[in-house]
Amino acid sequence: MRIAGFVPELLRHLFKKPATVDYPFRKLEVPKDFRGTPFLHPETCIVCRACERDCPAEAIEIVEVNAAEKRFKMTIHNDRCVHCAQCVDSCPTDAMEMDDKFEISAFSRWDLKEEWEYVRAVVKPKPAAPAPQAAPAAPVSPSPVKPSESET
Amino acid sequence: MKFQIPIGPQHPALKEPISLRMTVEGEVIRDADLRLGYNHRGIEKLAEERTYLQNIYLTERICGICSHSHTTCFVQGVEALLEVVAPRRGQFLRYLVAELERVHSHLLWLGVAGHEAGFDSFFMYTWRDREVVMDILEMISGNRVHYAINTLGGVRRDIDEALRTKILDSLGILRARTDYYFKLGANEPSFVGRLAGVGRLSKEDALALCAVGPTARASGVAHDVRRDDPYGIYGEIPFEVCTADSCDVLGRTVVRIKELGQSYNIIEYLLRNLPDGPVAVKAPRRAKPGEVVSRDEAPRGENIHYIKANGSDKPERLKVRAPTLANYAATLARLKNGFIADIPLIFAAIDPCICCAERTVELIDGRSGRPTVVRWSDLRRRAARRAGRVSKKRNVECPL
Amino acid sequence: MSALKTLLYVFVYPGLVFMFVYSTFCEWFDRKVYARLQNRMGPTHTGRWGLLQPVADFFKLMAKEDIVPEKADKTMFTLLPIFGLAVVATAMLLLPVWHFNPAAGGFNSFSGDIIVLLYLLSLPTIIFFLAAWSSTNVFSTVGGTRVLTMFFGYEVPLFLAVLSPALLAGSWRLAEIARFFQAKPVLLLVNLPGFIVAVICVQAKLERTPFDIPHAETEIVGGTFTEFSGKKLAFFRLMTDVEMVVSSGLLATVFLGGFPGGLVLGFLQFIVKTLFVIFLLSLLRAATSRIRVDQVVSFAWGYLAPLAVVQLFFVILLKGFVL
Ligand code: SF4
Ligand code: SF4
Repeated sequence: MRIAGFVPELLRHLFKKPATVDYPFRKLEVPKDFRGTPFLHPETCIVCRACERDCPAEAIEIVEVNAAEKRFKMTIHNDRCVHCAQCVDSCPTDAMEMDDKFEISAFSRWDLKEEWEYVRAVVKPKPAAPAPQAAPAAPVSPSPVKPSESET
Repeated sequence: MKFQIPIGPQHPALKEPISLRMTVEGEVIRDADLRLGYNHRGIEKLAEERTYLQNIYLTERICGICSHSHTTCFVQGVEALLEVVAPRRGQFLRYLVAELERVHSHLLWLGVAGHEAGFDSFFMYTWRDREVVMDILEMISGNRVHYAINTLGGVRRDIDEALRTKILDSLGILRARTDYYFKLGANEPSFVGRLAGVGRLSKEDALALCAVGPTARASGVAHDVRRDDPYGIYGEIPFEVCTADSCDVLGRTVVRIKELGQSYNIIEYLLRNLPDGPVAVKAPRRAKPGEVVSRDEAPRGENIHYIKANGSDKPERLKVRAPTLANYAATLARLKNGFIADIPLIFAAIDPCICCAERTVELIDGRSGRPTVVRWSDLRRRAARRAGRVSKKRNVECPL
Repeated sequence: MSALKTLLYVFVYPGLVFMFVYSTFCEWFDRKVYARLQNRMGPTHTGRWGLLQPVADFFKLMAKEDIVPEKADKTMFTLLPIFGLAVVATAMLLLPVWHFNPAAGGFNSFSGDIIVLLYLLSLPTIIFFLAAWSSTNVFSTVGGTRVLTMFFGYEVPLFLAVLSPALLAGSWRLAEIARFFQAKPVLLLVNLPGFIVAVICVQAKLERTPFDIPHAETEIVGGTFTEFSGKKLAFFRLMTDVEMVVSSGLLATVFLGGFPGGLVLGFLQFIVKTLFVIFLLSLLRAATSRIRVDQVVSFAWGYLAPLAVVQLFFVILLKGFVL
């Protein structure tokens, strides 16, 4: 047992820069590929509804606005979203993406809703993901593994 | 003079709602009673209405700290049901995250133990160094708490060479700091004085009361699912099961610090031997009828998931036995004849994760012994009756 | 004119305004040092370097709802915070920094003022106990008994430790003790063990880690202060701050040679020396973990009291044979 064994460590830090940041005034950067809030690129969405089906929080809602014009409306209920990025993984055309926002609180849950109204795109879905050949030195692919699209 | 003090459901020592009623005589506890059920979330029922894929994210939310252990346990079970095997690189990454999570959880626990003992500087320093591993986890998975890295048939993200080197470099810092905390924790007289000899749990008691994880290992029970029933790739990883013989809170601290060292070794092994190849394979959506029991070693102890499939893409039943539940009995027995000042320490020593352990409550009639089903309307009526009795003086509004 | 002077004395310097400003500054200093020792920032935002944070806390609490529990003893519950603040404010006047009449002494410097000061510093403990008891909460009651239990541990060593310099100086008057040591600064070294004992006892008196047992939040929630809110809590907090200033002033007087040099220089010495003592208290707070109440008593009687007694004997021998 050593009396005051902690004191040298404490005194060493007295004139060091604090480890914390002055949060609301200074912010830390999030790493790339941070899972923030999901958003849609409406020009590539083919309305396959894979994201709607796989979303664990039922946060994605796609409704048909006008059948003749093939107009659809997608709503992402950010108040329900759990930021898992499964929709990004499930989307066959990379129409879903995550941004890096994490300060998304609002006074009302309705303020968190995001909507896109768009005409269904005619994009060829990528050939059903050949499980990504992760070369050891390859950088992290932005939309990595898509093991979930297959249906038995 | 005997009186009851309520610890919880809201109490600064507890970060989650649980109620401990302590009958104390002066500073000495004479009797302890535990009440659960403040945070029941119906997760098991909810799981029956979600597909296997969606359930990964649901099981992740059973616990906020060992989120990865629950998904690992669940995914292992479902992979067995779906008859897919994750590729080796995927498995390496899965258990890499599992070990990183153990590191973050044990560092967190060290800080909590410091805080409960009133050693706030220790708390601040351990949590500062925990940020190192939190940052690694965030870089691997894109989130600090819910990594969501597991998927059916592998993991969702790969790591690149830069990140691999970075993790290996950070291990150096973490090792140095852990050694320092080991020396400090075992030497600071006021801290050791609080931990040593507190909450004794003999080896026989630990076995009889079914303690798991570091709680059992600190009583000399060398039990670790990673070694006793190797899952995934643990069979090929060299590591030791750390135990202590002092049977007290100090022993639990020592075991956790030693386990940190073992986890660093495992992480290093995994990263140095990381095989090439894909990180995931495609998994079918539907499972053939069948059932499976999956186990893994969470930072807090053995975690068990039971999954029953009925041929659809949703499980028919999911049953979760979180490690905290197994440790409650051992804790309650320890509290008796201790000091009030030791309550937070003894209770924190199992690293309780209360909402993980909350399961369906079945009320059994004390006289007839028959289980009863209580309906919402009954509950309302009871609450109203009770509120009416209590608030004769003031007109308290009943929230129900 | 003299009435105006009295009013100035009472309200501005060294009265209420100065007491408030300096004790909040000391709280800021303590918080900042404690935070920096832990590699944190401490208060940063309110005022320059967060200097106004304790003041802001005080006024925030003053504006909060003031709840008195139904079962509490209302008179005691309301009066105790005010009484406590008055006690420590009076104690502050006895510090030999304020030169009302340096040669002749006067109402705040007389033979035996060291005893009165120690007595006034014991009163807050009793007030905490009464406050805890009158609020009738279980946590408060446990906290109150802990206050008293600890009191029996640290009070005797503190008295013994503080009295040995007085014996050496052969005076019961703070100003004279200080003057004695200013004349022979070497003798200050003799009192070093006593100083260590006194710092630890003051830490216990102020109920700071490792002796924050009466309001150990992880065990008994707010302990003594569980039921106090609003203005009353603000008064208690201010009282603890003033107590910290007074006790560090006392230690600086008897162990660090007082505050010579007249009005300005003496005042500067007061600031530097009290801050030094407060720094030691913060370091002790950062370096230790809370101990159990039974450990306090056994530690105080097992280590502190014997050390203080040895110091006392040493001083008596020194005085008898050498001086
Ligand atoms: S991130 Fe997850 S929860 Fe949010 S919308 Fe996408 S799938 Fe749903
Ligand atoms: S999965 Fe992609 S393409 Fe399909 S509906 Fe969703 S966003 Fe559109």
